[in-house]
Amino acid sequence: MALGHENYKELVLRLAITDFKLRYHASVLGYVWAILKPLLLFTILNFVFSSIFNFKNSGTPLYSLELLTALLMFNFFAEGTTAGLASLLSKAQLVTKIYVPRWTIVLASTLNSFFVFLANMFVLVIFFAIYEKVPSIGGVLLFILYIILLYILILSFSFIFSPLYVRFRDLSMIWEVCMQMLMYAAPIVYPLSLIPENLQQIILLNPLAFIIHFAKQGLISDHFAKPLNLAILVISCIAIFIVSIFLFQKNQRKVAENI
Amino acid sequence: MENSTQKPQIAISVKNVSKTFIIPHDKISTLRGAFTSMFNKKDHDVLDALKDISFEIKKGEFFGIIGRNGSGKSTLLKILAGVYAHDTGSIEINGAISPFLELGIGFNPELSGRDNIYLNATVLGLTKKQIDKKFDSIVAFSELERFIDQKLKNYSSGMSVRLAFSVSIHANRDILLMDEVLAVGDVNFQSKCLNEFNKYKEMGKTVILVVHDVGTIQRYCDRAMLLRNGKIEMIGKADEVGNEYIYQNMSDEEKRIKREQEQERIGFEKERIQVEKEAEKLKGKELEEEKKRIENEKIKLEEERKNKVAEITSVEFLDKSGNVKNVFETGEPMGIKVDFKIHREVKLLNFGIGMHSAIGGCIFGYNTQIDKSPVYRNDNFVVLSIDELSLLKGEYFINVTCFGEVAEHVYDFKPKCKILTIYSTGTANKHGGFFLIKHEWKKPLTN
Repeated sequence: MALGHENYKELVLRLAITDFKLRYHASVLGYVWAILKPLLLFTILNFVFSSIFNFKNSGTPLYSLELLTALLMFNFFAEGTTAGLASLLSKAQLVTKIYVPRWTIVLASTLNSFFVFLANMFVLVIFFAIYEKVPSIGGVLLFILYIILLYILILSFSFIFSPLYVRFRDLSMIWEVCMQMLMYAAPIVYPLSLIPENLQQIILLNPLAFIIHFAKQGLISDHFAKPLNLAILVISCIAIFIVSIFLFQKNQRKVAENI
Repeated sequence: MENSTQKPQIAISVKNVSKTFIIPHDKISTLRGAFTSMFNKKDHDVLDALKDISFEIKKGEFFGIIGRNGSGKSTLLKILAGVYAHDTGSIEINGAISPFLELGIGFNPELSGRDNIYLNATVLGLTKKQIDKKFDSIVAFSELERFIDQKLKNYSSGMSVRLAFSVSIHANRDILLMDEVLAVGDVNFQSKCLNEFNKYKEMGKTVILVVHDVGTIQRYCDRAMLLRNGKIEMIGKADEVGNEYIYQNMSDEEKRIKREQEQERIGFEKERIQVEKEAEKLKGKELEEEKKRIENEKIKLEEERKNKVAEITSVEFLDKSGNVKNVFETGEPMGIKVDFKIHREVKLLNFGIGMHSAIGGCIFGYNTQIDKSPVYRNDNFVVLSIDELSLLKGEYFINVTCFGEVAEHVYDFKPKCKILTIYSTGTANKHGGFFLIKHEWKKPLTN
């Protein structure tokens, strides 16, 4: 139908900016929390794993830097999927009282997490400077590619599950638990090299683990994924994305009735 | 799918649109619920909200949709807006349609008025540039210049409505959908909105209005559609459709009153049976005592009744052919029939009927004594006949009294014994006050 919503870009941005503003509106530190929260988590994990488990001396000298990179990426994934999952329900008014294309709502909600991630990238740069580590151009370019893939995964997840979440509120609980599991199923707090060789391959089958592992490896130790594996990852991410769009278009039709 | 080349004079064309809702008995919102409900086959109802609806709206038309609650009018509006997907049929819309059904969508209490204007206007489809340009005009229309940088949560509800309406009229769409918007705001602001309505009319915009109030439809709309149980009952000139709606309401009201009376009767019956059953439960001496008590009561009541000289047994409204009716139209003939029983010898009886408006004020008070038409003892009913009931729409009730030769000898009095509902159609529906009195406006002959 011709609904005269010519300007989706502005709509998405406006919604995302509003979310971003609202998220920290009543806190003293405001936007600082966007950076502070992952940093605090990092401090705890860094303390636990480098002083107690002492990964630093087991072949990963820049463990803290790896941990921070991985943690920020995982944080992006966790916040993006959580916000994306709840997007249609939390903006129910935009679903039931007006027609805006529903994908704009999902996109805007995940975009908010992307803003937070971008802010965190400044912190990452500062940490790289502190550790006097200069990543290679290739590492940075691949990192950007991995971030794009990560965002595609977030969007795919949100497109598939946000219309379902309207009817099945259990999804948020299930996802919360899954997230805990994923955090330890991916090489975030531990270096992949610590795992037995044959298990490593299984862990890397998980696209999230693959992305996080090779993104931080590329930045920090110039260790890259095999081109074939990377190509498979890119293709499967795009395939998932296309499927998710189809599913979303199908499921969103009745979403207004089910809210 | 804009289609402006084909049939440019048609703004909206709806063909054979149906919509069915599946209503779970207990809304399934957990996976467990979905799982268990797989084994219970019939756990939902199917509601046909719209059945095979087809109509066209021309460009520049003011089109009204009326119908009772649950007739499907809001569903139809939501389908037009794109909020609901229709199951079958096709909808063709030429021109930019306002996609919103409510004012102030996306408003957030934690944001300032300024931010909310930008947010709401973007949601309604304006670009930032357009909003920048219209911003001052939006603020000026809402009369909120001083508060624009305050948070919305500090606004009164009237203030937010003003802001919302102001943004929405600046959204500037060719086709506007409005669902009961006139119900909000104070009187001043309402009249401002109505002015804005007339401006739309002058600009040649298409407006689709969904309201309960027939008056609004008849005042503003060119054409209207009456929906009933998801079907189009009538479509045509707003005045005619409005009248049809009123007639429909009259017969529905009549049915409702009849049903209520029936239920009341059943209620009494049930109560009586209940009392008897309870009496049966008692045994021996207690039973005897109870029986005696009931018997005594009956005798007492009967005596009391007999002691009355006369008694009003029932009061009914009659239409012109003598059938009982409770809902009348302005200008209809009406009879008020009072049945009575005489228990003791009297020379003559007088009856009085007073009618009052439900919102206060006496309409009339007539009695047989003043009208010199007393009732003699062989009769058992009397009818007050009114040729033309010139009452305007509203609720009225009557008191009936029965007395002897002098008004001080009251034999029976039934206060508020019957409620009368009046509907008006056409211009009568737009008048204010209680009565329709013949009137005309005279102008100086020089013109």
